Amino acid sequence: MSGPLLSLRDLSVTYHTSSGPVPAVRGVTLDLARGESLGLAGESGCGKSTLAGAILRLLPEKTVIEGEIVLDGRSVPDLNPGGLRALRWTAGAIVFQGALHALNPVRRVGDQIAEPMLIHETVSSEREARQRTEGLLGRVGLLGARADSYPHQLSGGQRQRVLIAMALACDPLLLIADEPTTALDLMVQAQVLSLLDELQRERDLTLLFITHDLSVLTYACSRLAVMYAGRIVEVGPAWQTFEDGLHPYTRGLAAAFPTIGETSSRMRPSGLGGDPPTPGDLPPGCPFHPRCPLARPECRDAEPELRSSGENRVAACILV
Amino acid sequence: MHPGVSPLVEIEGLHVHFGDARAVDGASLRVMPGEVLALVGESGSGKTTLVRAIQGLQKPTAGTIRMEGKVQSIFHDPAVQMVFQDPTGALNPRQAVYEIVAEGLRIRGDKGDEVDLVKEALARAGLRPPERFFPLFPHEISGGQRQRVVIAGAMVMEPRLLLADEPVASLDASIRGEILALLRGLVDDHGLAILVVTHDLGLAWNIADRVAVMYLGRIVETGPTEEILDDPQHPYTRALLSVVPETREMEPQILKGEIPDLSRIPSGCRFHPRCPLLQSGTLPEDVAQRCLSDDPGPVPLGAASAAACWPAMATETSTPTTSD
Repeated sequence: MSGPLLSLRDLSVTYHTSSGPVPAVRGVTLDLARGESLGLAGESGCGKSTLAGAILRLLPEKTVIEGEIVLDGRSVPDLNPGGLRALRWTAGAIVFQGALHALNPVRRVGDQIAEPMLIHETVSSEREARQRTEGLLGRVGLLGARADSYPHQLSGGQRQRVLIAMALACDPLLLIADEPTTALDLMVQAQVLSLLDELQRERDLTLLFITHDLSVLTYACSRLAVMYAGRIVEVGPAWQTFEDGLHPYTRGLAAAFPTIGETSSRMRPSGLGGDPPTPGDLPPGCPFHPRCPLARPECRDAEPELRSSGENRVAACILV
Repeated sequence: MHPGVSPLVEIEGLHVHFGDARAVDGASLRVMPGEVLALVGESGSGKTTLVRAIQGLQKPTAGTIRMEGKVQSIFHDPAVQMVFQDPTGALNPRQAVYEIVAEGLRIRGDKGDEVDLVKEALARAGLRPPERFFPLFPHEISGGQRQRVVIAGAMVMEPRLLLADEPVASLDASIRGEILALLRGLVDDHGLAILVVTHDLGLAWNIADRVAVMYLGRIVETGPTEEILDDPQHPYTRALLSVVPETREMEPQILKGEIPDLSRIPSGCRFHPRCPLLQSGTLPEDVAQRCLSDDPGPVPLGAASAAACWPAMATETSTPTTSD
């Protein structure tokens, strides 16, 4: 099948809470080509995890999804429960942050990896499921015998590998990794990133990688999308976007990760200052203007649309 | 390293064992007044146990910790204060900011003007005007402000040493810079020292005067930040630096596996089973043999820069390698 694997058109997601509607994602348009790795960056509350949840409809019941989500030719908002079950694990799977709560503490990890295979009948017997589970564990760098371990018997890095093996159980086309390395040590983080990179290449996976750590994304992804207050404010090639962002927000976020050896950042930590806005109470005009070092009076008037600037680069800022 | 200045904290030959597990296994380290020292290492390297020992929360199995020349006992010293990783977990959700900051003063039975002291501590932590924050509860302020409240609660005790365990790891990237700038400012403006525990080498580059690298309970390399991060001598430090995403010029040396079990510390050099330099096969036969059979020992206390690595010591003949 040609065309993008995932296509979002003017996607909006609104939570309905006791204190009123909260627009978490506000009009996102984005395509992921087959085999591509895209990084989605932004601070807590910018809507990046909501966006990921919407793609597989893993959001609370009363949440309203508007706009189009097409994954592998299927319109996700229109799927009935059966269609949704068929979509999850096979068309798209998520690797969550490797905290203990993503795994069931009282079940052996092998059974948890085998469960989606048996439900989706991608294997014909429990024996085959076990063989495949051991194969997957081997592929993510663990001993097959680890299938008999309980989550608490594994280290943080090992649990993250189990979660990756589980996400791969039914050979998904799209792998969504939501902060998969945030809780991990530097060296274990590097191991997990290089594992994801290898898997992406060898299985021709499409990867949507979500984190607030822009530097990790540039390492793991070819393209970068930056989100702020529910919208995408910049998209471009990963390294260019990290090193020379068009949007002042991208530049502020990138400055939080100093280049070691560069004298300009030695003893000079920098960042944006201020806090991201609350989704239910956005400032008028460009929602970034209260924190923007380059804000002008007209930034309060209207929210800028994404505009192209240079090859394959877009940004939503009147200065671009 | 700072002639004429006596260390604020001096840790000498510290051991903390839990049964067979040697969490700290002969660590020696100095923190000088008015400096930021970054203690870097993986989970399981013993960083947290070392910090708990400095706080007086963990009794050493052997070795000494001196605070301003006096041997630190198990009792808590108010001159040593702590900043935790997760401000949300560190703050009592049912206490207002004022109560949180004043608590330490009350426990100490402080006789000064509490309101003034709390006000000053909040202002020092960058929460201005301080009165505005008095009645607010942790859930009513942002993550960055919460970490500032934690810092104010430490600063109100007038510490001479601040122990910060991954102070920005759970914060958003954009807030990271301002909290690090605040910590650096406390050192520059108030002359206290900070021992910051982190696995974030970019943080060390941003605020630390010196770096100490810990592996399996010992300091394996120490020196000025520029020296350690520009030209690390220990292969472990080199590997850590090579996997920092921001240093893309370096070929990543991803070490296999995880840090070994603390109850089975390898013989010879404790890093040898994971050492890329040894595995490369480029070392002279006699040096490689030494890595397998002889322990290079901890870095000598008081050396300006040193690496506990046989190949590094063999090439660096100018650095004294004898223990003091």
